[in-house]
Amino acid sequence: MAASERIVERRRVFQQYKEDVRERGKPFYPFAMLHDTIMSLVVVLVITGLAIVWKYTTPGDHQTVEPGWLGRLYDEPADPGTINFVPRPDWYFYFLFYLLRIFKWPPTVVIGTVGLPTVLLILLLALPFIDLRSERRLSRRPVAIVAAILVVISMGVLTYKGATAKEALGTELLALVPSWAQQQGFENNEQALAGARLFAVAGCLNCHTYLGAGGTNLGAPDLSAEGAKNKGIKFQVDHLACPACVNPGSPMPSFSGLGKERLQQLAAFLEASKGPK
Amino acid sequence: MQPHDDHPHVPGPSLWPVGFAVGVVVLMIGLIVSWWIAGLGAIVALVFGFLWVRDLTVGTPLTHTPEVPPESPTGAAVPANVGAAAMAPASLSEERYPRSKFLEASTLGLGAVIGGIVTVPALGFMVGPPFLKQGQKERRLGPLSDFPEGRYVVATYTADPTQGVVSRRTAYVRANGLLDGQPSFSIISNHCAHLGCPVQPNGPLDQQNKKQHGEVTLIPTISIAGFGCPCHGGQYDTEGNRTSGPPVRALDRYSFAIRDGDLYIGTPFSVSHVEGTGKDATIHKWTFAYPGEHVDGLESWLYPIQPPH
Amino acid sequence: MTTTRRPPTRNEQLQQTILYPVDWLEERSGLVGGIRYFLFRKVPGDINWFQTLGSATLTAFIVQALTGSILAMYYKPDPNSAYPSIQHITNDVFAGWLVRGMHRWGASVFIILMFLHMGRVFLFGAYKYPRELNWIIGVLLLAMGLGEGFTGYLLPWDQTAYWATVVGINLNGTAPFLGPFIAQFLQGGTYINADTLPRFYAIHMLLIPGAIFALIGLHLYLVIRLGVTSPPWSKEAAGTGTMIPSQNGGRRGLTRPSTRRRSP
Repeated sequence: MAASERIVERRRVFQQYKEDVRERGKPFYPFAMLHDTIMSLVVVLVITGLAIVWKYTTPGDHQTVEPGWLGRLYDEPADPGTINFVPRPDWYFYFLFYLLRIFKWPPTVVIGTVGLPTVLLILLLALPFIDLRSERRLSRRPVAIVAAILVVISMGVLTYKGATAKEALGTELLALVPSWAQQQGFENNEQALAGARLFAVAGCLNCHTYLGAGGTNLGAPDLSAEGAKNKGIKFQVDHLACPACVNPGSPMPSFSGLGKERLQQLAAFLEASKGPK
Repeated sequence: MQPHDDHPHVPGPSLWPVGFAVGVVVLMIGLIVSWWIAGLGAIVALVFGFLWVRDLTVGTPLTHTPEVPPESPTGAAVPANVGAAAMAPASLSEERYPRSKFLEASTLGLGAVIGGIVTVPALGFMVGPPFLKQGQKERRLGPLSDFPEGRYVVATYTADPTQGVVSRRTAYVRANGLLDGQPSFSIISNHCAHLGCPVQPNGPLDQQNKKQHGEVTLIPTISIAGFGCPCHGGQYDTEGNRTSGPPVRALDRYSFAIRDGDLYIGTPFSVSHVEGTGKDATIHKWTFAYPGEHVDGLESWLYPIQPPH
Repeated sequence: MTTTRRPPTRNEQLQQTILYPVDWLEERSGLVGGIRYFLFRKVPGDINWFQTLGSATLTAFIVQALTGSILAMYYKPDPNSAYPSIQHITNDVFAGWLVRGMHRWGASVFIILMFLHMGRVFLFGAYKYPRELNWIIGVLLLAMGLGEGFTGYLLPWDQTAYWATVVGINLNGTAPFLGPFIAQFLQGGTYINADTLPRFYAIHMLLIPGAIFALIGLHLYLVIRLGVTSPPWSKEAAGTGTMIPSQNGGRRGLTRPSTRRRSP
């Protein structure tokens, strides 16, 4: 069909639509408006219900910041000079939040921050000019269906992964040391305990994971059972002092700045981590 | 325009009432503001009032304005001091500039002027201040003796006391010994160069030796292996160079000054990388840029101009 | 009506009394006629529950606008008093916890409904001729709704609010060429300072809602003018048959046969 024929045809179809609605349509009020009103009532009830649950499942007198079923009522007051905080956006931005973890190589950072979202927004805006067919039946719109499914799945996956992404904050990790000692069985090993406390605050868990804690973003190995490999204290100390010497090509930075004594403690901790009992 | 005999006697158009009104207003304002203005207003009102009354009492009815013949500029039978003829345009039917076009143009033009007067200053007020008068004063961090050589100290200070807590900031300060007889310091910002999350020192802090000078808090570290960002895993070495993760450049640094044995922290600048360590380091310095912006390499062409900082 | 000359009944008198102010308003403004047109206009008889998502989104936005305006009476947009005012609203003010909770969760519900509504319109093909402009307005509304979420997140001025906004502003800063200017404009300076919170507050309370109200008005106008589509799976969708009964198997178009009115 030539373009002008298409234009004439779609105008005719729209005329027909208006005629059909005029002849056989139902008045908006009360038929359609009833459904709208019911749905709006559901929306208002949901919002109010969430507000009530948020408040009444938060324990305590709200002078402290304990979380309830739906999270905290508010965090600690803003401290621009803090060194102990990992920010998170609101849940509807988790898909963008997780994009930042996908595009983590420095030259690609700008793609994840503004490149991809801008492209998606432009695609959305231009949709009526990309899809020029007047076909509305789903069975005859395979591209639309595939695109919709892909978008829903990818946004869902990205949001989920953004929600479950883990970061490692030194102060929170320190509190986990007794539980680590218990799970790994080195409660009586003073060197290993000291090493565990160092492990928590020296930034190891920014890249590594250990017994469920730590960041997975940079793909460093899990160290929960590092001791089971029996590499020995000397190996561990040498590796920590110069990872690239022991493992050529390793992106792990050197921890020699901690000093020999602390490296020994870390090594003792790693060797005592035989894996949870 | 044909004269009507039962047409009421209506004075012609005249500017005297306007002048009188202006005079009255100025008089009333002057009563509040200043006697001189009141006097001026009174004089204006009197003058125009006199002219107006004189107009009214001249008595020539203007119910029939003779048609001004197209070819003669002034109607011969109409006295010059009578309103309409004195103010009518010279020749009504032959206009060089059609009236409707003139009205259109002046409406749009005046509208544009009004729009400009209202929006330009307002927009300037919205957009201007973030870019004007930026820059910070130096802040005193503490005496030189509070900064042990070779160890980083976590210094939290208030960058602008007039703004209060909102301008709190943290920097990592390390004394490097003497360089050419002057104390050398490395002062590293704690904003990650990826997206600005607070960066942590990779090592234990010495909370026992925490010091407080007014609103400045100094916590020495025991020994650290560098800095790490918990948000996305960016890692930096002890000079602030990026060693792994998404950060696009090294950590920013601050300029500093030593006055009367005290360390003062100054304005920040960006760093692409640092060669060497401590006081002998070579710092590749760039204008301050926000996190996530490359300062060198190919991608720095994406950010050619920095706003005034 | 004018032929019968009996006196009006009580019922009729009552009706006339009630209708008097309505008629007064209608004669002077035409508003009543407009509302009548909106209420009694025809829509396809086979529209679906999915098509209530649009008005549900509008309801969620109205909830946000109302609760937001009321919260503004107690919230103090200054970095030193914002957090205490939020505590005050949540703990001390009568029903403050409820209004604040509705606003906070209403934001999430509003965004979910916008996405669902957009998905429904996409799958129904209701962005095609002649409704392309409406789709574009809708996408702009989506972007502005997300902008409201971003600017509103800073207002409680707690740790999450502050640092999530730092990262968000720096995200904008990485945009090529204009990024640093956008970031500095949003921040109100080189760093977040005492002017940043009032700036975000003004954007959140006035600038974006003003634009949203205007665009919603346009959006609704277009919906009324262009009409609502039938679902794409509808057998008797409006606009698909021919208008001549002899050519479409005697089918007269649109509604499913109902017990109340049978098509001749």
